[in-house]
Amino acid sequence: MIYFDNAATTSPLPEVLSLYMEKCQTVIGNSSSTHALGRKANRELDEARREILASFGLEKTHNLIFTSGATEGNNLSIKGVCKLYKNRGNKIIVSSVEHPSVTNVFKELEKEGFEVVYLPVNEEGKVLPSSLEEAMDNKTILVSIMGVNNEVGSINDMNALADIVHKYPKALFHSDLTQAVSKVKMPYNKIDMFTYSTHKIGGLRGDGALIYLKKIQFASLFDGGGQEGGFRSGTVDVPCALSHALAVKEAMKSMTRKIPHVKEIYDYLKEELGKLDEVSFNSPIDGSPFVLNISLKHKKASVILEALSEREIYVSSVSACSSKGEPISSVLLAMNRSEGDARNSLRLSFSESNTINEAQAFMKEFMDILERTINR
Amino acid sequence: MNYDSLMIHYGELSTKGENRKQFIRELNKNIRHAIKEFGCTVTNDHDHTYVKFPDDPMPIIDRLQKVSGIQRISLVYKSSRDIETLKKDALELIKLEEGKTFKVVAKRGDKTYPLDSHGVNVALAGMILRNTELKVDVHNPDIVLKADVRKDAVYLSSHTYYGAGGYPLGMNGKVMMMLSGGIDSPVAAYLLLRRGIRIECIHFAAPPYTSDAVIDKLTDIIKQLNVYQEDIKLNIIPFTKLQLAIYQNVPEPYCITIMRRMMYRLAEKLGKYHHCIGIANGESVGQVASQTLDSMITINNVTNFPVIRPLAVSDKVDIIKMAGNIGTFDISIRPYEDCCTIFKPKKPKTKPRIDECEFYESKFDWQTMIEECIHDVKSILVRDGEVVNFAEKEQQPS
Repeated sequence: MIYFDNAATTSPLPEVLSLYMEKCQTVIGNSSSTHALGRKANRELDEARREILASFGLEKTHNLIFTSGATEGNNLSIKGVCKLYKNRGNKIIVSSVEHPSVTNVFKELEKEGFEVVYLPVNEEGKVLPSSLEEAMDNKTILVSIMGVNNEVGSINDMNALADIVHKYPKALFHSDLTQAVSKVKMPYNKIDMFTYSTHKIGGLRGDGALIYLKKIQFASLFDGGGQEGGFRSGTVDVPCALSHALAVKEAMKSMTRKIPHVKEIYDYLKEELGKLDEVSFNSPIDGSPFVLNISLKHKKASVILEALSEREIYVSSVSACSSKGEPISSVLLAMNRSEGDARNSLRLSFSESNTINEAQAFMKEFMDILERTINR
Repeated sequence: MNYDSLMIHYGELSTKGENRKQFIRELNKNIRHAIKEFGCTVTNDHDHTYVKFPDDPMPIIDRLQKVSGIQRISLVYKSSRDIETLKKDALELIKLEEGKTFKVVAKRGDKTYPLDSHGVNVALAGMILRNTELKVDVHNPDIVLKADVRKDAVYLSSHTYYGAGGYPLGMNGKVMMMLSGGIDSPVAAYLLLRRGIRIECIHFAAPPYTSDAVIDKLTDIIKQLNVYQEDIKLNIIPFTKLQLAIYQNVPEPYCITIMRRMMYRLAEKLGKYHHCIGIANGESVGQVASQTLDSMITINNVTNFPVIRPLAVSDKVDIIKMAGNIGTFDISIRPYEDCCTIFKPKKPKTKPRIDECEFYESKFDWQTMIEECIHDVKSILVRDGEVVNFAEKEQQPS
């Protein structure tokens, strides 16, 4: 089996999983209970929170809410901030290549009366700081731009973008860092609120976090027992939070090791695929080495994906599928690619557990499949 | 007292002669199976089947409405032939009903009964008029009380439900149903089942041009059809090699026609192995190029099996409505491609000729490939809403 779909999800690290199993048995109390067991659980939870913030170097300035993943974090932070701060201004800004858990929240807010600006991207899938500068004004209360694009791996210049947002005291800078955490260097301290899912970096599924500047408040999405500072009610999964802390720590520690490792696979595939007339690249030259996105000139991407899958090689095609069964990538369209390219893209995404041998085997099978399948 | 039995009126059995008994036996078997967990007793006489139920009849009626071969289901009370007891029972029963007006309809099946049907009407209506507030309305009554006078008893009823009609399942043999996963073929399958025809399904899969997900879609459709036939087999034909050979050897306008001819050949061949006595599909005249009458004659020419097309003259809107009713529509519109939608010729022939088809087919060795398809067929059995086994080569998840 060759698993090149690590941007979709990864397997949990064995040590994360064993810590989870151990803590499920030893951490018994509910962290909201006031008896000794509850207090012990609460201490462990606070420790996990502190450790995670420390991994990002943010223990002094930021706070953390445990969520079920980036989707929940994005909903909570964007809606929560807009609802609470709408008296400060009515304008919100978002890039046009965000994950649906951001884009659709903005569309919803647009229906509620917010003025939404969708920032264009260049052909490399990046937001130009100059276009953000143009869009900003004193009415703007929120800007959301992802760190690394999930489909093509473009890296935004977060330093420059954050500096522009911070020229306006009322505006907050939000970022979905799901594909960036522990994979690309990010100026975490300059981002007012960010979210990620731990299952993309060797953690458990159904787990994630929203990390935000201490001064920020949110309108809560759930009514309930007032856990997580009142912003996210519901009993907190302490064993999961502890595993989360371990996964983040390990992921951040392994950055220097895994980036060159993955880069070798990425460079090899880029060189070999570049020799084929059939393939064009959508990922920019300076993108994340964890994501390689290509378009097929003559073949149908869904057919190649199925053929690879038959040979136990797993990659992904366009993430969202429209109801007519004709998926098309809005990210690639925003990057000014042709409709044919946007319908026939494949995403290969890597992790430390992939090897160069797998990349070689992939190339062999991929070329064989190209030869055997008919054109679209 | 209350209704305690269901009287089941047979469908088109009135047209039957000598084999009537066999039909009733088959129907009763299907009825017993459909309501096995309710603890009912099933008996019959020459004209009806009776189901005696312990408490709530509604879930039983709901099941029986899906059993083919049943025209109507009446909720009945078995009363006495003694006229005084009968009058008392009729009064008690009508008190359970809501309404202001009523009418008694007596039917005297047993001609030896002392009162004629009018006499029974008068006797029962008189009793009811004297003892309730109800009035008679013979044109638009709120309540119709039926009294069926038979040799053993008089059956009283006032509620009738319609059944699926048709013949008991299995009485009319088994056919090989071509199931694509679209909207039409599940509806066609349902109509066959309702007519008492058992089905076995055949699907043409062309991986990697079609996704494995289509198999899940098909089993979900079959689960809906399990209501009418408890176990349905799905045969998946690996069609890619043959289909690619067609596209390499046949001019584009003829590709679909010849592909359909191959499908018919495969359905007949596999059908013969599995004791089917016909092929069925969801074709509707004129819907697409391969379903014009001119196309049908050319495609049909490869087999002398009867080809049943239950939807031949149905409109798409009606088909969609039926698909909604049997619960297959939402499954059919899931976005997976089948092998017909994957290679779409720009200009398919609407009037293909048999001699031309034969000429193109003579240019490549499809016979061997047909054998291979049959040899490599994969079968799935879906029973009562669950996949019970992979009969042939089982897929091993990695």
